[in-house]
Amino acid sequence: MLILPAAIALVRLLRSRYYRVEVAGDSMRPTLYPGDFLILRRGAPASGDAAAGAIVALHDATGRLILKRVIGLPGESLRVGTAVLINRRPLREPYAQGETPQAQFRGANQLAPDEYFLIGDNREASTDSRDFGAVTRARLEGAAVFRYWPPGRLGRLASPGRVLGAVPPDPELPLGMIPPRPTA
Amino acid sequence: MKIKNRVASLLRPNQVAHAHCDIPCGIYHPHIAQQGAESVERMCVLIGELGSPSDSAGHASLSRYVAEKEKAAELVKHEVRILWGDYFKPPHLEMFPDLHTKAWTIMKLAGTARGSVKIDDAKALRAAVDEFADMFWKTKA
Repeated sequence: MLILPAAIALVRLLRSRYYRVEVAGDSMRPTLYPGDFLILRRGAPASGDAAAGAIVALHDATGRLILKRVIGLPGESLRVGTAVLINRRPLREPYAQGETPQAQFRGANQLAPDEYFLIGDNREASTDSRDFGAVTRARLEGAAVFRYWPPGRLGRLASPGRVLGAVPPDPELPLGMIPPRPTA
Repeated sequence: MKIKNRVASLLRPNQVAHAHCDIPCGIYHPHIAQQGAESVERMCVLIGELGSPSDSAGHASLSRYVAEKEKAAELVKHEVRILWGDYFKPPHLEMFPDLHTKAWTIMKLAGTARGSVKIDDAKALRAAVDEFADMFWKTKA
């Protein structure tokens, strides 16, 4: 007799904490593909370094729910050019493909204490913080935790963690440029 | 394959999240909005010339003009929202402190133009969109 109420309570509890979305568009390739079904945890991702690399959902200026990856964290200095520099250190991004088009290059972005910089993984086909600027934490409505469809790509969508390279030797390098490899 | 599609339809969420790109990315242009505003004006002219149709052909033309006007006005709103929301950035707001008001005015004028057949309403929309386009091009100067 108690099984049904318990099941209903469990569903309500889950729905209060998680929701599902279907992915449309290509800006998160090669991580997310159109037609993927995701489970998102409601609210902003955990604060601090744990948010780096999380895929978050928010509404844009036109009212669409969009998905992007957290690249810059509150308080950080960030440059987006050929590569992304965080506090002058190049960010290693195995999840990203392509390079930022010239029109979307951004100079130094000093993020405010509650601002995040979001970029799509498909760098050459994404409208994101390179266009609409950093977003406040209050705007982050969900964080992707699991892909449950299609079965072939089923699995957790955990943050890949953050790997930063060494500070380039030349502090005067132009926007986001990684120093060229020395030629033999 | 059919079974997979059925399972997918059962599991499909009722909400879509856009991993979007306003193609072509990083390339913005006010031309489509201006063309939309011009279409609204043209449809108002055609509706005026048609007068009060008395036959089915006339009614069909009127329906077509009205539908086209609605679509064009909505296109204006869509395109202006993209420029306003995605292209314009804080430094542009310093150049044009009334940017938000201009975008908002266009939304209102486009809404009015949808429900109106007055050429003056269409002209007001077109003038506002042209002004918005000028602001866009000044940021490129």
